[in-house]
Amino acid sequence: MNTLEITPQTTIPDHLVGEVQSKLAYVDETIVKARVAENGEKILLEVSEIVDEKLRLRLEDKVQRVVTTMTQGAFRPKVQVLEDHLSRSVPFREDPTTELLRRGEIHCEANGIFSLGPLVTRLVEFFETRFLGLADSFNANPYRFPTLIPARYLERVNYFRAFPHSLTFATHLREDLDAIDHFAQHAGCDAHGNLNQPPESFAQIQALLSPAVCYHLYFALADKPLPGGQMVATAVGNCFRYEAINLVSLERLWNFTMREVIFIGGKDFVLESRETARTRMSQVFEEIGLAYRVETANDPFFIGEFRKQAAFQSAFQLKYELRASLPFKDSTLAVGSYNYHQDFFGRHLNITLPDGSPVHTGCTAFGLERMAYAFLSQYGLDAQQWPQVVKEHFNE
Amino acid sequence: MNINAALIEQVQVALAEALQTPVDAITPELALGDLPQWDSMGHMEVMMLLEQKFGVEINADTIAALISVPAICDYIDQNHLTS
Repeated sequence: MNTLEITPQTTIPDHLVGEVQSKLAYVDETIVKARVAENGEKILLEVSEIVDEKLRLRLEDKVQRVVTTMTQGAFRPKVQVLEDHLSRSVPFREDPTTELLRRGEIHCEANGIFSLGPLVTRLVEFFETRFLGLADSFNANPYRFPTLIPARYLERVNYFRAFPHSLTFATHLREDLDAIDHFAQHAGCDAHGNLNQPPESFAQIQALLSPAVCYHLYFALADKPLPGGQMVATAVGNCFRYEAINLVSLERLWNFTMREVIFIGGKDFVLESRETARTRMSQVFEEIGLAYRVETANDPFFIGEFRKQAAFQSAFQLKYELRASLPFKDSTLAVGSYNYHQDFFGRHLNITLPDGSPVHTGCTAFGLERMAYAFLSQYGLDAQQWPQVVKEHFNE
Repeated sequence: MNINAALIEQVQVALAEALQTPVDAITPELALGDLPQWDSMGHMEVMMLLEQKFGVEINADTIAALISVPAICDYIDQNHLTS
Protein backbone atom coordinates (compact mmCIF):
# COMPACT_ATOMS: atom_id res chain seq x y z
CA MET A 1 0.00 0.00 0.00
CA ASN A 2 1.21 3.54 -0.77
CA THR A 3 1.40 5.91 2.12
CA LEU A 4 1.63 9.64 2.55
CA GLU A 5 2.40 11.63 5.69
CA ILE A 6 1.10 15.17 5.89
CA THR A 7 1.90 17.79 8.54
CA PRO A 8 -1.17 19.98 9.02
CA GLN A 9 -0.59 23.72 8.92
CA THR A 10 -2.39 23.94 12.25
CA THR A 11 -2.25 21.28 14.95
CA ILE A 12 -5.57 19.52 15.24
CA PRO A 13 -6.88 20.00 18.80
CA ASP A 14 -7.84 16.83 20.66
CA HIS A 15 -11.57 17.59 20.62
CA LEU A 16 -11.49 17.72 16.79
CA VAL A 17 -9.30 14.68 16.04
CA GLY A 18 -12.26 12.34 15.51
CA GLU A 19 -14.23 14.90 13.50
CA VAL A 20 -11.32 15.70 11.17
CA GLN A 21 -10.39 12.04 10.78
CA SER A 22 -13.95 11.13 9.75
CA LYS A 23 -13.99 13.91 7.13
CA LEU A 24 -10.71 12.75 5.56
CA ALA A 25 -12.69 9.84 4.12
CA TYR A 26 -14.30 12.28 1.68
CA VAL A 27 -11.15 14.09 0.57
CA ASP A 28 -10.16 11.97 -2.42
CA GLU A 29 -11.21 8.70 -4.04
CA THR A 30 -7.66 7.37 -3.83
CA ILE A 31 -7.66 7.40 -0.02
CA VAL A 32 -8.30 3.96 1.47
CA LYS A 33 -7.32 4.75 5.06
CA ALA A 34 -6.78 7.99 6.96
CA ARG A 35 -5.60 8.60 10.48
CA VAL A 36 -4.75 11.63 12.58
CA ALA A 37 -1.61 10.82 14.60
CA GLU A 38 0.95 12.32 16.98
CA ASN A 39 -1.50 14.45 18.95
CA GLY A 40 -2.92 16.10 15.88
CA GLU A 41 0.43 17.01 14.33
CA LYS A 42 0.46 14.36 11.59
CA ILE A 43 -2.01 12.90 9.14
CA LEU A 44 -1.26 9.46 7.75
CA LEU A 45 -2.91 8.41 4.51
CA GLU A 46 -2.94 5.08 2.74
CA VAL A 47 -3.80 5.50 -0.93
CA SER A 48 -4.62 3.16 -3.76
CA GLU A 49 -2.19 4.69 -6.27
CA ILE A 50 1.54 5.31 -6.36
CA VAL A 51 2.08 8.73 -4.79
CA ASP A 52 3.79 10.84 -7.44
CA GLU A 53 4.34 14.59 -7.04
CA LYS A 54 1.06 15.48 -8.72
CA LEU A 55 -0.99 13.23 -6.41
CA ARG A 56 0.96 14.33 -3.35
CA LEU A 57 0.24 18.01 -4.08
CA ARG A 58 -3.43 17.28 -4.75
CA LEU A 59 -3.90 15.32 -1.54
CA GLU A 60 -1.91 17.74 0.57
CA ASP A 61 -3.90 20.71 -0.73
CA LYS A 62 -7.25 19.06 -0.01
CA VAL A 63 -6.23 17.76 3.41
CA GLN A 64 -4.96 21.18 4.45
CA ARG A 65 -8.28 22.69 3.34
CA VAL A 66 -10.20 20.29 5.55
CA VAL A 67 -7.97 20.88 8.56
CA THR A 68 -7.89 24.66 8.18
CA THR A 69 -11.64 24.99 7.66
CA MET A 70 -12.48 22.81 10.64
CA THR A 71 -9.88 24.02 13.12
CA GLN A 72 -9.36 27.76 12.55
CA GLY A 73 -11.40 29.64 15.12
CA ALA A 74 -12.96 26.40 16.35
CA PHE A 75 -14.70 26.57 19.70
CA ARG A 76 -14.00 23.89 22.28
CA PRO A 77 -17.30 22.20 23.11
CA LYS A 78 -18.38 21.89 26.72
CA VAL A 79 -19.17 18.20 27.08
CA GLN A 80 -21.75 17.54 29.76
CA VAL A 81 -22.22 13.97 30.91
CA LEU A 82 -25.83 13.32 31.90
CA GLU A 83 -25.48 9.62 32.72
CA ASP A 84 -22.36 7.53 33.12
CA HIS A 85 -22.79 3.75 33.34
CA LEU A 86 -19.67 2.83 31.40
CA SER A 87 -18.26 0.99 34.40
CA ARG A 88 -21.25 -1.37 34.49
CA SER A 89 -19.86 -4.90 34.54
CA VAL A 90 -20.30 -6.87 31.30
CA PRO A 91 -18.99 -10.39 30.60
CA PHE A 92 -17.53 -10.03 27.08
CA ARG A 93 -14.74 -8.04 25.44
CA GLU A 94 -14.34 -9.24 21.87
CA ASP A 95 -15.51 -7.92 18.54
CA PRO A 96 -18.47 -10.20 17.69
CA THR A 97 -18.23 -9.48 13.95
CA THR A 98 -16.03 -12.42 12.95
CA GLU A 99 -18.16 -14.94 14.81
CA LEU A 100 -21.40 -13.42 13.50
CA LEU A 101 -20.06 -13.72 9.95
CA ARG A 102 -18.84 -17.28 10.54
CA ARG A 103 -22.24 -18.38 11.86
CA GLY A 104 -24.09 -16.65 9.02
CA GLU A 105 -25.82 -14.37 11.53
CA ILE A 106 -24.75 -11.38 9.47
CA HIS A 107 -23.94 -11.29 5.78
CA CYS A 108 -21.96 -8.47 4.15
CA GLU A 109 -23.48 -7.69 0.74
CA ALA A 110 -21.16 -4.73 0.13
CA ASN A 111 -19.37 -2.10 2.17
CA GLY A 112 -21.89 -0.79 4.70
CA ILE A 113 -24.67 -3.10 3.48
CA PHE A 114 -25.44 -6.05 5.77
CA SER A 115 -28.29 -8.52 6.03
CA LEU A 116 -29.14 -9.88 9.48
CA GLY A 117 -29.77 -13.50 10.46
CA PRO A 118 -32.21 -14.81 13.08
CA LEU A 119 -30.18 -14.04 16.19
CA VAL A 120 -29.47 -10.40 15.39
CA THR A 121 -32.99 -9.97 14.01
CA ARG A 122 -34.48 -11.23 17.28
CA LEU A 123 -32.18 -8.92 19.23
CA VAL A 124 -33.35 -6.00 17.10
CA GLU A 125 -36.94 -7.08 17.79
CA PHE A 126 -36.19 -7.17 21.51
CA PHE A 127 -34.89 -3.60 21.48
CA GLU A 128 -37.88 -2.61 19.38
CA THR A 129 -40.23 -3.83 22.15
CA ARG A 130 -38.46 -1.46 24.54
CA PHE A 131 -38.53 1.50 22.16
CA LEU A 132 -42.18 0.86 21.37
CA GLY A 133 -42.77 0.73 25.11
CA LEU A 134 -41.28 4.21 25.32
CA ALA A 135 -43.53 5.37 22.47
CA ASP A 136 -46.58 3.85 24.21
CA SER A 137 -45.72 5.66 27.44
CA PHE A 138 -46.27 8.91 25.49
CA ASN A 139 -49.36 7.56 23.67
CA ALA A 140 -47.41 8.19 20.48
CA ASN A 141 -49.30 7.79 17.22
CA PRO A 142 -47.69 5.32 14.80
CA TYR A 143 -46.59 6.43 11.34
CA ARG A 144 -45.02 4.74 8.32
CA PHE A 145 -42.78 6.73 6.04
CA PRO A 146 -41.25 6.02 2.62
CA THR A 147 -37.60 5.17 2.13
CA LEU A 148 -37.32 7.78 -0.62
CA ILE A 149 -37.44 11.48 0.15
CA PRO A 150 -37.89 14.21 -2.46
CA ALA A 151 -34.80 16.34 -3.11
CA ARG A 152 -36.83 19.54 -2.74
CA TYR A 153 -37.77 18.52 0.81
CA LEU A 154 -34.15 18.22 1.91
CA GLU A 155 -33.32 21.45 0.11
CA ARG A 156 -35.98 23.27 2.13
CA VAL A 157 -34.32 22.37 5.45
CA ASN A 158 -30.76 23.19 4.29
CA TYR A 159 -29.74 19.53 4.42
CA PHE A 160 -27.56 19.85 1.31
CA ARG A 161 -25.39 22.50 2.97
CA ALA A 162 -25.09 20.69 6.28
CA PHE A 163 -24.54 17.05 5.23
CA PRO A 164 -23.67 16.84 1.49
CA HIS A 165 -21.02 14.18 2.08
CA SER A 166 -23.42 11.57 3.41
CA LEU A 167 -26.25 11.88 0.86
CA THR A 168 -27.42 8.87 -1.15
CA PHE A 169 -29.22 9.58 -4.41
CA ALA A 170 -31.94 7.62 -6.15
CA THR A 171 -32.51 7.61 -9.87
CA HIS A 172 -33.94 5.44 -12.65
CA LEU A 173 -33.46 4.99 -16.37
CA ARG A 174 -34.73 7.85 -18.49
CA GLU A 175 -38.11 7.29 -20.09
CA ASP A 176 -36.45 6.57 -23.42
CA LEU A 177 -36.95 3.31 -25.28
CA ASP A 178 -33.45 3.38 -26.76
CA ALA A 179 -31.81 3.99 -23.40
CA ILE A 180 -33.84 1.23 -21.73
CA ASP A 181 -33.16 -1.21 -24.58
CA HIS A 182 -29.46 -0.40 -24.44
CA PHE A 183 -29.42 -0.95 -20.70
CA ALA A 184 -31.26 -4.28 -20.99
CA GLN A 185 -28.78 -5.51 -23.58
CA HIS A 186 -25.52 -4.25 -22.11
CA ALA A 187 -25.83 -3.54 -18.39
CA GLY A 188 -23.36 -5.33 -16.16
CA CYS A 189 -20.98 -4.74 -13.31
CA ASP A 190 -17.19 -4.48 -13.42
CA ALA A 191 -14.84 -6.19 -10.99
CA HIS A 192 -15.42 -3.45 -8.42
CA GLY A 193 -19.20 -3.81 -8.60
CA ASN A 194 -19.64 -0.61 -10.60
CA LEU A 195 -22.51 -0.59 -13.09
CA ASN A 196 -21.06 -0.11 -16.56
CA GLN A 197 -23.69 2.31 -17.88
CA PRO A 198 -23.07 5.96 -18.80
CA PRO A 199 -24.57 8.69 -16.57
CA GLU A 200 -26.73 9.96 -19.46
CA SER A 201 -28.79 6.75 -19.28
CA PHE A 202 -30.19 7.90 -15.98
CA ALA A 203 -32.83 10.48 -15.19
CA GLN A 204 -32.21 13.71 -13.29
CA ILE A 205 -32.23 13.10 -9.56
CA GLN A 206 -35.47 14.09 -7.88
CA ALA A 207 -35.33 11.82 -4.85
CA LEU A 208 -32.82 10.60 -2.33
CA LEU A 209 -32.74 7.74 0.11
CA SER A 210 -33.92 9.16 3.38
CA PRO A 211 -31.22 10.11 5.91
CA ALA A 212 -33.63 10.32 8.87
CA VAL A 213 -37.13 9.28 9.89
CA CYS A 214 -38.63 12.34 11.59
CA TYR A 215 -38.17 14.66 8.59
CA HIS A 216 -41.06 12.95 6.83
CA LEU A 217 -43.41 13.89 9.65
CA TYR A 218 -42.36 17.53 9.63
CA PHE A 219 -42.96 17.72 5.88
CA ALA A 220 -46.39 16.11 6.29
CA LEU A 221 -47.26 18.87 8.77
CA ALA A 222 -45.75 21.74 6.74
CA ASP A 223 -47.51 24.99 5.91
CA LYS A 224 -50.36 24.67 8.35
CA PRO A 225 -51.16 25.03 12.04
CA LEU A 226 -50.40 21.96 14.16
CA PRO A 227 -53.76 20.42 15.12
CA GLY A 228 -54.16 20.53 18.89
CA GLY A 229 -50.89 22.41 19.33
CA GLN A 230 -48.79 19.38 20.22
CA MET A 231 -48.26 15.76 19.24
CA VAL A 232 -46.10 12.69 19.81
CA ALA A 233 -45.48 10.21 17.00
CA THR A 234 -43.32 7.18 16.41
CA ALA A 235 -41.97 5.46 13.32
CA VAL A 236 -39.23 3.11 12.25
CA GLY A 237 -37.49 3.39 8.93
CA ASN A 238 -34.51 2.63 6.76
CA CYS A 239 -31.98 5.46 6.81
CA PHE A 240 -28.99 6.05 4.56
CA ARG A 241 -25.79 7.91 5.39
CA TYR A 242 -22.82 7.28 3.16
CA GLU A 243 -19.58 7.14 5.13
CA ALA A 244 -17.04 6.06 2.46
CA ILE A 245 -14.03 4.26 3.98
CA ASN A 246 -15.47 4.77 7.45
CA LEU A 247 -18.10 2.10 6.80
CA VAL A 248 -17.19 -0.72 9.19
CA SER A 249 -19.20 -3.84 10.10
CA LEU A 250 -22.46 -3.18 11.98
CA GLU A 251 -20.74 -0.24 13.67
CA ARG A 252 -21.11 2.08 10.71
CA LEU A 253 -23.65 1.06 8.08
CA TRP A 254 -24.62 2.87 4.91
CA ASN A 255 -28.15 1.46 5.19
CA PHE A 256 -29.45 1.18 8.75
CA THR A 257 -32.73 1.17 10.64
CA MET A 258 -33.80 3.85 13.05
CA ARG A 259 -36.70 3.93 15.52
CA GLU A 260 -37.76 7.41 16.49
CA VAL A 261 -40.19 8.93 18.97
CA ILE A 262 -40.95 12.46 17.79
CA PHE A 263 -42.22 15.40 19.87
CA ILE A 264 -43.83 18.50 18.34
CA GLY A 265 -45.34 21.45 20.20
CA GLY A 266 -44.24 24.32 22.41
CA LYS A 267 -40.68 24.62 23.71
CA ASP A 268 -41.45 23.41 27.24
CA PHE A 269 -43.45 20.41 25.99
CA VAL A 270 -40.66 19.27 23.68
CA LEU A 271 -37.87 19.76 26.21
CA GLU A 272 -39.82 18.05 29.01
CA SER A 273 -40.69 15.15 26.71
CA ARG A 274 -37.06 14.72 25.68
CA GLU A 275 -36.01 14.62 29.32
CA THR A 276 -38.80 12.20 30.25
CA ALA A 277 -37.77 9.93 27.37
CA ARG A 278 -34.16 9.92 28.55
CA THR A 279 -35.18 9.10 32.12
CA ARG A 280 -37.47 6.27 31.02
CA MET A 281 -34.83 4.79 28.72
CA SER A 282 -32.31 4.96 31.55
CA GLN A 283 -34.49 2.45 33.46
CA VAL A 284 -34.72 0.23 30.37
CA PHE A 285 -30.95 0.20 29.87
CA GLU A 286 -30.43 -0.57 33.54
CA GLU A 287 -32.78 -3.56 33.18
CA ILE A 288 -30.80 -4.73 30.15
CA GLY A 289 -27.47 -4.12 31.88
CA LEU A 290 -26.08 -2.00 29.08
CA ALA A 291 -22.81 -0.19 29.76
CA TYR A 292 -23.23 3.30 28.32
CA ARG A 293 -22.99 7.02 28.80
CA VAL A 294 -25.21 9.92 27.75
CA GLU A 295 -23.39 13.13 26.90
CA THR A 296 -23.80 16.31 24.90
CA ALA A 297 -22.70 15.98 21.27
CA ASN A 298 -23.06 17.46 17.83
CA ASP A 299 -24.10 16.18 14.42
CA PRO A 300 -21.41 15.38 11.83
CA PHE A 301 -21.80 18.57 9.81
CA PHE A 302 -19.63 18.91 6.71
CA ILE A 303 -16.49 20.97 6.97
CA GLY A 304 -17.87 24.36 5.89
CA GLU A 305 -20.79 24.29 8.30
CA PHE A 306 -19.10 22.30 11.03
CA ARG A 307 -17.46 25.00 13.13
CA LYS A 308 -20.51 27.18 13.63
CA GLN A 309 -23.25 24.54 13.69
CA ALA A 310 -21.41 22.20 16.03
CA ALA A 311 -20.59 25.04 18.43
CA PHE A 312 -24.20 26.18 18.48
CA GLN A 313 -25.52 22.65 19.04
CA SER A 314 -23.06 22.08 21.82
CA ALA A 315 -23.62 25.40 23.60
CA PHE A 316 -27.40 25.00 23.63
CA GLN A 317 -27.24 21.25 24.44
CA LEU A 318 -29.44 20.39 21.49
CA LYS A 319 -28.13 16.84 21.18
CA TYR A 320 -27.54 14.21 23.84
CA GLU A 321 -25.83 11.12 22.49
CA LEU A 322 -26.33 7.66 23.96
CA ARG A 323 -22.91 6.04 23.66
CA ALA A 324 -22.63 2.31 24.40
CA SER A 325 -19.38 0.76 25.48
CA LEU A 326 -17.45 -1.38 23.00
CA PRO A 327 -15.21 -3.16 25.51
CA PHE A 328 -13.04 -4.85 22.88
CA LYS A 329 -11.67 -1.51 21.71
CA ASP A 330 -12.03 0.47 24.95
CA SER A 331 -14.24 2.86 23.08
CA THR A 332 -17.87 3.85 22.74
CA LEU A 333 -20.36 3.85 19.89
CA ALA A 334 -23.30 6.24 19.44
CA VAL A 335 -26.38 4.01 19.44
CA GLY A 336 -29.02 6.66 19.94
CA SER A 337 -29.67 10.31 20.63
CA TYR A 338 -32.10 12.67 22.33
CA ASN A 339 -32.48 15.73 20.12
CA TYR A 340 -34.02 19.18 20.37
CA HIS A 341 -34.24 21.17 17.14
CA GLN A 342 -35.62 24.36 18.71
CA ASP A 343 -38.03 25.95 16.20
CA PHE A 344 -35.83 25.13 13.18
CA PHE A 345 -38.39 22.91 11.43
CA GLY A 346 -41.30 25.05 12.61
CA ARG A 347 -39.76 28.12 10.96
CA HIS A 348 -38.44 26.50 7.81
CA LEU A 349 -41.58 24.47 7.16
CA ASN A 350 -44.12 26.97 8.50
CA ILE A 351 -45.68 24.66 11.10
CA THR A 352 -47.39 26.83 13.68
CA LEU A 353 -48.79 26.72 17.19
CA PRO A 354 -52.29 28.10 17.92
CA ASP A 355 -50.75 31.51 18.70
CA GLY A 356 -49.12 31.60 15.25
CA SER A 357 -45.55 31.07 16.47
CA PRO A 358 -43.47 28.24 14.97
CA VAL A 359 -43.57 24.84 16.67
CA HIS A 360 -40.55 23.38 18.42
CA THR A 361 -39.54 19.81 17.65
CA GLY A 362 -37.42 17.08 19.16
CA CYS A 363 -36.90 13.38 18.81
CA THR A 364 -35.32 10.36 20.37
CA ALA A 365 -33.66 8.12 17.81
CA PHE A 366 -32.17 4.66 18.20
CA GLY A 367 -30.04 2.83 15.65
CA LEU A 368 -31.32 -0.74 15.80
CA GLU A 369 -28.35 -2.54 14.23
CA ARG A 370 -25.88 -0.56 16.32
CA MET A 371 -27.87 -1.30 19.46
CA ALA A 372 -27.72 -5.04 18.73
CA TYR A 373 -24.03 -4.79 17.86
CA ALA A 374 -23.19 -2.95 21.09
CA PHE A 375 -25.14 -5.50 23.11
CA LEU A 376 -23.30 -8.42 21.46
CA SER A 377 -19.99 -6.63 22.02
CA GLN A 378 -20.77 -6.47 25.74
CA TYR A 379 -22.51 -9.85 26.22
CA GLY A 380 -21.26 -12.05 23.38
CA LEU A 381 -23.19 -14.62 21.37
CA ASP A 382 -23.68 -17.13 24.18
CA ALA A 383 -27.23 -16.51 25.35
CA GLN A 384 -26.41 -18.07 28.74
CA GLN A 385 -24.37 -14.96 29.46
CA TRP A 386 -27.18 -12.59 28.61
CA PRO A 387 -29.32 -10.64 31.08
CA GLN A 388 -32.49 -12.48 32.10
CA VAL A 389 -34.83 -10.01 30.41
CA VAL A 390 -33.18 -10.60 27.02
CA LYS A 391 -33.13 -14.37 27.48
CA GLU A 392 -36.85 -14.32 28.27
CA HIS A 393 -37.58 -12.52 25.02
CA PHE A 394 -35.76 -15.25 23.10
CA ASN A 395 -37.70 -17.96 24.94
CA GLU A 396 -41.10 -16.42 24.17
CA MET B 1 -28.40 47.73 35.07
CA ASN B 2 -28.19 51.12 33.40
CA ILE B 3 -26.39 50.65 30.11
CA ASN B 4 -25.42 53.80 28.31
CA ALA B 5 -27.09 54.56 25.02
CA ALA B 6 -23.81 54.70 23.12
CA LEU B 7 -23.02 51.08 23.96
CA ILE B 8 -26.50 49.93 22.95
CA GLU B 9 -26.07 51.71 19.65
CA GLN B 10 -22.64 50.13 19.07
CA VAL B 11 -24.11 46.70 19.70
CA GLN B 12 -27.06 47.40 17.41
CA VAL B 13 -24.67 48.42 14.61
CA ALA B 14 -22.54 45.30 15.17
CA LEU B 15 -25.58 43.01 15.09
CA ALA B 16 -26.88 44.67 11.94
CA GLU B 17 -23.55 43.98 10.28
CA ALA B 18 -23.39 40.38 11.49
CA LEU B 19 -26.97 39.63 10.50
CA GLN B 20 -26.78 41.65 7.29
CA THR B 21 -29.92 43.56 8.12
CA PRO B 22 -30.76 47.30 8.43
CA VAL B 23 -29.77 48.70 11.80
CA ASP B 24 -33.31 49.86 12.53
CA ALA B 25 -34.39 46.19 12.57
CA ILE B 26 -32.16 45.69 15.62
CA THR B 27 -34.39 46.95 18.40
CA PRO B 28 -32.96 47.43 21.91
CA GLU B 29 -34.83 44.34 23.18
CA LEU B 30 -34.16 42.07 20.16
CA ALA B 31 -33.32 38.43 20.96
CA LEU B 32 -32.15 35.31 19.16
CA GLY B 33 -35.00 34.01 17.00
CA ASP B 34 -36.82 37.35 16.73
CA LEU B 35 -35.50 37.90 13.19
CA PRO B 36 -35.21 35.15 10.55
CA GLN B 37 -31.55 36.17 10.14
CA TRP B 38 -30.83 35.65 13.85
CA ASP B 39 -30.99 31.85 13.69
CA SER B 40 -28.27 29.38 14.69
CA MET B 41 -25.91 30.39 11.88
CA GLY B 42 -26.73 34.06 12.35
CA HIS B 43 -26.02 33.73 16.05
CA MET B 44 -22.57 32.37 15.37
CA GLU B 45 -21.93 35.30 13.01
CA VAL B 46 -22.98 37.60 15.84
CA MET B 47 -20.60 35.84 18.23
CA MET B 48 -17.68 36.13 15.85
CA LEU B 49 -18.30 39.81 15.24
CA LEU B 50 -18.57 40.45 18.99
CA GLU B 51 -15.23 38.71 19.40
CA GLN B 52 -13.69 40.83 16.68
CA LYS B 53 -15.17 44.17 17.74
CA PHE B 54 -15.41 43.87 21.51
CA GLY B 55 -12.99 41.07 22.39
CA VAL B 56 -15.79 38.86 23.71
CA GLU B 57 -14.42 35.37 24.38
CA ILE B 58 -16.47 32.81 22.48
CA ASN B 59 -17.11 29.64 24.39
CA ALA B 60 -20.08 27.42 25.20
CA ASP B 61 -21.15 29.72 28.06
CA THR B 62 -21.08 32.96 26.08
CA ILE B 63 -22.72 31.37 23.03
CA ALA B 64 -25.61 30.23 25.23
CA ALA B 65 -25.82 33.41 27.31
CA LEU B 66 -25.48 36.26 24.83
CA ILE B 67 -28.83 35.76 23.16
CA SER B 68 -30.32 39.25 23.23
CA VAL B 69 -29.23 42.84 22.81
CA PRO B 70 -29.62 43.54 26.57
CA ALA B 71 -27.62 40.39 27.47
CA ILE B 72 -24.84 41.38 25.08
CA CYS B 73 -24.75 44.96 26.37
CA ASP B 74 -24.68 43.76 30.00
CA TYR B 75 -21.83 41.37 29.26
CA ILE B 76 -19.74 43.96 27.45
CA ASP B 77 -20.39 46.54 30.16
CA GLN B 78 -19.62 44.17 33.07
CA ASN B 79 -16.44 42.94 31.47
CA HIS B 80 -15.31 46.45 30.55
CA LEU B 81 -15.01 45.57 26.88
CA THR B 82 -15.12 48.35 24.34
CA SER B 83 -15.09 48.48 20.58
